[in-house]
Amino acid sequence: MKRTGFFPAFLGGGILAAIIPAAELFFRRDSYTTGDESSLSMVLGSNWQMMAMLNILLIVSGACIMYHTEYTDRGYDKMRCLPIKESAIFLKKVIVMTGMCSLIFIIEAAAAALCISHWFAFYPGFSEELLKSFGYFFLLSLPVILTSLLIASACRNMWISLGIGVICVFTATLLPAKSFVLSLFPFALPFQTLAGTTHQEILGFMTASVLETIILGIAELIYLKIRRSLL
Amino acid sequence: MNIIETQDLTKTYGDFTAVSHVSLHIPKGAVYGFLGPNGAGKSTTMKMFLGLVKPDSGSFTIHGRQYPEDRLEILKEIGSFIESPSFYGNLTGEENLDIIRKILGLPKSSVADALELVGLTPFKNRLARKYSLGMKQRLGLAGALISRPPILILDEPTNGLDPIGIHEIRTLIRSLPKQFDCTVLVSSHLLSEIELMADNIGILNHGRLIFEGTMQQLKERALLKGYPTDNLEDTFLALIDADNGKGVNGYESGIGV
Repeated sequence: MKRTGFFPAFLGGGILAAIIPAAELFFRRDSYTTGDESSLSMVLGSNWQMMAMLNILLIVSGACIMYHTEYTDRGYDKMRCLPIKESAIFLKKVIVMTGMCSLIFIIEAAAAALCISHWFAFYPGFSEELLKSFGYFFLLSLPVILTSLLIASACRNMWISLGIGVICVFTATLLPAKSFVLSLFPFALPFQTLAGTTHQEILGFMTASVLETIILGIAELIYLKIRRSLL
Repeated sequence: MNIIETQDLTKTYGDFTAVSHVSLHIPKGAVYGFLGPNGAGKSTTMKMFLGLVKPDSGSFTIHGRQYPEDRLEILKEIGSFIESPSFYGNLTGEENLDIIRKILGLPKSSVADALELVGLTPFKNRLARKYSLGMKQRLGLAGALISRPPILILDEPTNGLDPIGIHEIRTLIRSLPKQFDCTVLVSSHLLSEIELMADNIGILNHGRLIFEGTMQQLKERALLKGYPTDNLEDTFLALIDADNGKGVNGYESGIGV
């Protein structure tokens, strides 16, 4: 991943997403009214849609960068001549991408905490709520990671995988947020927040995310087998 | 003893038969030259050995191991360089070899050794995408040689090299069986190169193996058929023409395997 722009893209994107709640609070502090919701719920409720979209676009771009690096000078072809399974290459990419997503969520969580401390005040149970929220976001992002990498692995031309990814992101933004079934679309899951969601729905989303991740992982294995059999 | 053996290896793409019932016998410790016009099936055959192309029928064994059951085991024993060089352009030559080293579980010193072997040490810190074609070829060769494998499969390894580079690589390939106790399967369009390098040759035309044997056997059979034997190029051309049924210069039929 050296010199591909992958790490700077994730760091820059993570910082950009982290600036969103700070900028919102800086310019529109008055729009935040005290209600039943916790300060963190209010901040995330107002900003998470934009942050999630940035995160998903980062994941899509990251997957494209990863496989573009593999295909552009035929590095992937060299790997296929070595005693390493293609599924292992995919798994390593999933691990790297998951690690980078963890990093951007940590940056975003730190930014959210800073915003709360600066414009509101820490309150009992804040840390727990912060961890739960970002753990939830992370879990719901796993299907996007798998889908993006699956698409990128299938397309030697980076622009095709990037195009498909962008279409998926915008499709997700067009889906009615209140429909549970439609929200299960992998690219729509990361837009979900804990606030305003019933316990049952939260469990449903989490289960769906885990199942989608497993199914997508199996789909990649099947795809690699089919691709090899068609050689 | 043959280190690579194929039995009726066949591969078709739609109506086009790339490789047709090829049965090769590559002796251990030999440099085996693989000859044939463009599209004869040389690269396809080599790709089948690496599991990059799946045979439609037939089978092969490499070092006693059967494909596809032992594919990963086979790959551990083969150093390969297929068609144009493949590498990560965003990494330096040294970093590219380091990836291969890690996958093969080799000591760190193997990278420096491989770079030295192909004369790339002064350019090890340059990005691979900025290498000249000749340097990319050398990097590909270094990647194939890094583990000192018992079998080397080299497809057109001297493409893009200048005359000095060709001479160096030829000398290197020629020395490999003695130096590292390995078997080399090498294809080239440069017939004079094969003539200078190979102990045994196999000639493919339209996917069929039309000759297999030593250089001496080729000359003997060519003499019997009345083909020129002054150099491999003339013998090769007569053989291919005869096989194509053109009967150029009066040659009517192939030599046969």
